[in-house]
Amino acid sequence: MQITKLQSNKFKTNLVALFITVPLTKENCTKNALLTSVLRRGTNNLKTQEEISKRLEELYGAGFNCGVDKLGNYHVLKFYLETLENTYTLNNENLLQEGINLLLDIVFNPLVENNGFNKVYVEQEKLNLQKLIESRKDNKALYAKERCLESMFADESYSLYKYGSVEDLVNINETNLYAYYKELLKNCKIDLYVTGNNIDNIKVPEISSKNLPQIENLHVAPEKPSIVNESQDVTQGKLIIGLDVGNSDKAVVSMYNTILGGGANSKLFQNVREKASLAYSAGSSYIRRKNVILIQTGIEIENYDKAVKIIEEQLQDIKNGKISDEEFNSAKQLIISSIELIEESKEDMITFYFDQNLFEENLNVTEYKEMIKNVTKEDVIKVAQKVKEDTIYFLTNKAK
Amino acid sequence: MQKIQNDKIKESVYIETLDNGMKIMVIPKPNTDKKYIIWGTKFGSIDNHFIEPKTGKEIKVPDGVAHYLEHKMFEQENGVDSLYKLMSLGLDANAYTTNDHTAYLFGGTKNFYEGLDELMNYVQHPYFTDQNVEKERGIIGQEIGRYDDEPAWKLYTNLMDCLYANNPVKQDIAGTVESISHITKETLYDCYNTFYHPSNMTMCISGNFEPEKIVEEVKKRLLPKEKIGEIKRIYPEKEYTINKKINEQNMEVNIPLLMIGYRDILENEDNIMKQIAIEIILNSLIGKSSKLYQKLYTEGLLMGPLEFYDEFADEYSHVVIGGQSENPERINEEIVKVLKTEKVTAEDFERNKKALYGEYISEYDDVETIGRNFLQDSMKGINCLDYIDAFNKITLDYVNKIQENLFKEEMSALSIVRKEK
Repeated sequence: MQITKLQSNKFKTNLVALFITVPLTKENCTKNALLTSVLRRGTNNLKTQEEISKRLEELYGAGFNCGVDKLGNYHVLKFYLETLENTYTLNNENLLQEGINLLLDIVFNPLVENNGFNKVYVEQEKLNLQKLIESRKDNKALYAKERCLESMFADESYSLYKYGSVEDLVNINETNLYAYYKELLKNCKIDLYVTGNNIDNIKVPEISSKNLPQIENLHVAPEKPSIVNESQDVTQGKLIIGLDVGNSDKAVVSMYNTILGGGANSKLFQNVREKASLAYSAGSSYIRRKNVILIQTGIEIENYDKAVKIIEEQLQDIKNGKISDEEFNSAKQLIISSIELIEESKEDMITFYFDQNLFEENLNVTEYKEMIKNVTKEDVIKVAQKVKEDTIYFLTNKAK
Repeated sequence: MQKIQNDKIKESVYIETLDNGMKIMVIPKPNTDKKYIIWGTKFGSIDNHFIEPKTGKEIKVPDGVAHYLEHKMFEQENGVDSLYKLMSLGLDANAYTTNDHTAYLFGGTKNFYEGLDELMNYVQHPYFTDQNVEKERGIIGQEIGRYDDEPAWKLYTNLMDCLYANNPVKQDIAGTVESISHITKETLYDCYNTFYHPSNMTMCISGNFEPEKIVEEVKKRLLPKEKIGEIKRIYPEKEYTINKKINEQNMEVNIPLLMIGYRDILENEDNIMKQIAIEIILNSLIGKSSKLYQKLYTEGLLMGPLEFYDEFADEYSHVVIGGQSENPERINEEIVKVLKTEKVTAEDFERNKKALYGEYISEYDDVETIGRNFLQDSMKGINCLDYIDAFNKITLDYVNKIQENLFKEEMSALSIVRKEK
């Protein structure tokens, strides 16, 4: 297990994060999601959720959280524990070490019976996960974004829903999940991140971890953008446009994305919202590990054509080099500020360094900031030529 | 300048009340690079009926006006959009409106004083024209539309409708497409001139600052304003019962959403002590480590912990408990029963008090949370630092008394959002 200590005197709490990373595959996706929920149900020391919760409360209301995420072509099982800095305890308790011990107990010492997980826990978590998968439509904006990505990457593992599928869930039981868990621990990358002021003296046992191969992105945008429509009971339409940015320099694409749709100065915000009054929210986000920019906005159903036209005009404008100095400089300023804020948040710090490590770029915050500083307008225009509209997704109402 | 220091959390707050009545609170954080400022006025969606202090004129405004005004503040006479300007300075700027206040804020690692120039300039220079007020209607209409599709938002507003018959807290903060159609530049100016007076405003600043110096910087940028008398707000008469027991709405959600509300009509209670008591009660009896949660989780009726919090201002007070379940009615029954019949044990009390203490201290982790908390509490007449002392004072007897008086079955209501059967 690779241990990374990020020392900082800015906070009153310590955050500890444990990540288990494997390539994202259909075979394992659902198992990973279920495993995370089963692990938090009980350990050999604290056999029930109730005992774990009580223990967390005793540790001054330590926060525990776990889940799964897609990061590029990997699937990450994430476990977080946040404790108060020892200096704020009433009896000088070593909360950080106690917290780490609890986190490791949950991940590496699960409740095992008859060479399997607890049957009741697995059955309950299967049911919960099924409900979770089935209720993803409840968050319309998120659903629309994910559906656009799924359609773009239809023939890749990235199109898998991070919580897996109901059909794969059916075949999992307490025995084969436990067997999978043991196998997983032999073949995954395991990282532990610790942030805080006083973190030198933590004790962590040796746990083996594998280095993972880098997985290339092979997606090629279609000649003409694919049009995808889906209907649901909504009053507001969700328009998502996926752009393929190819394997271009990531610092330059970040600048491109921010000029296009990052914040109130961006072309999308100014033109879709401020000038045309078509939407309340209009912006874009860069999914760097998949070479994709997603444009997202919520509009009246009948304004679909108008919105697509205005958005495409913005893309064309950047291609034609129509970027004012003000737009360019404020985008740069915005990214630099957001980089400077990374070290103001424990979670952002961990996320940044984990990502850098996993994708073998190993930049620190300062180096990353320098790369953004060096981007020129010409770089952005050059990259703009390679940006391709890939998929236009619209979540519309049923009347249509 | 008043200094309040707390040795347990190792933080201090400096409070200065200016001659014009404006309150400034500075919470220094020497180790952080991020700076944060938030400037609020005690004017929220519930303030829709008032007497203008200068003219003595009684004014009634359409629902959603505080929020509309917030949107329009950014536009300047020279065509500059201040949100745009702040963001070009690399500052993360925003504004929000709640039931009882409106706030303008920004944070970032540099250009703080340039940002302060812009913030204090735009908040003190309203510029409303028929044309620019008209233009905003479409954008806010879409914002309202977005909420209309949000099951969780509907769930909450429907619960407010159960808890209150006439209190304006039950209206959507942004108003309705119909109500905002009546907003004109005159409405906005009437509200601005009344509520954006320094005596009705508070500013909270956190980061690596010397308190005296930053207060001087703020004073330099304040425009002189004539003193005004007290703003008289007119609210419907206080209600002592709930409006209706249940509200059910059909929307496309996979698992039904439920929200239980308790009207709190207790009077003359210390708000901080009461709030801590409520959290101890709910954590102990229906929280993650409670017997009830374990039971409902095991039966498959709950998939995750219930969320709960209390909300209060001078004009309203209630406790809200929310979750997702295939059987909302059953969850409601169980919760109401437990809160009525079971008591917090001494062990629960001690454990949850400790947990709350830890959570409370961790709220001093970053300048943004600090700024927001101090502003929000100050709008309710609370000083954040008082929480720590309250932890030392609170007793199990007090907690039991609050439970008995607050969690009464007849004061509870249930809101459900589920698919059409």
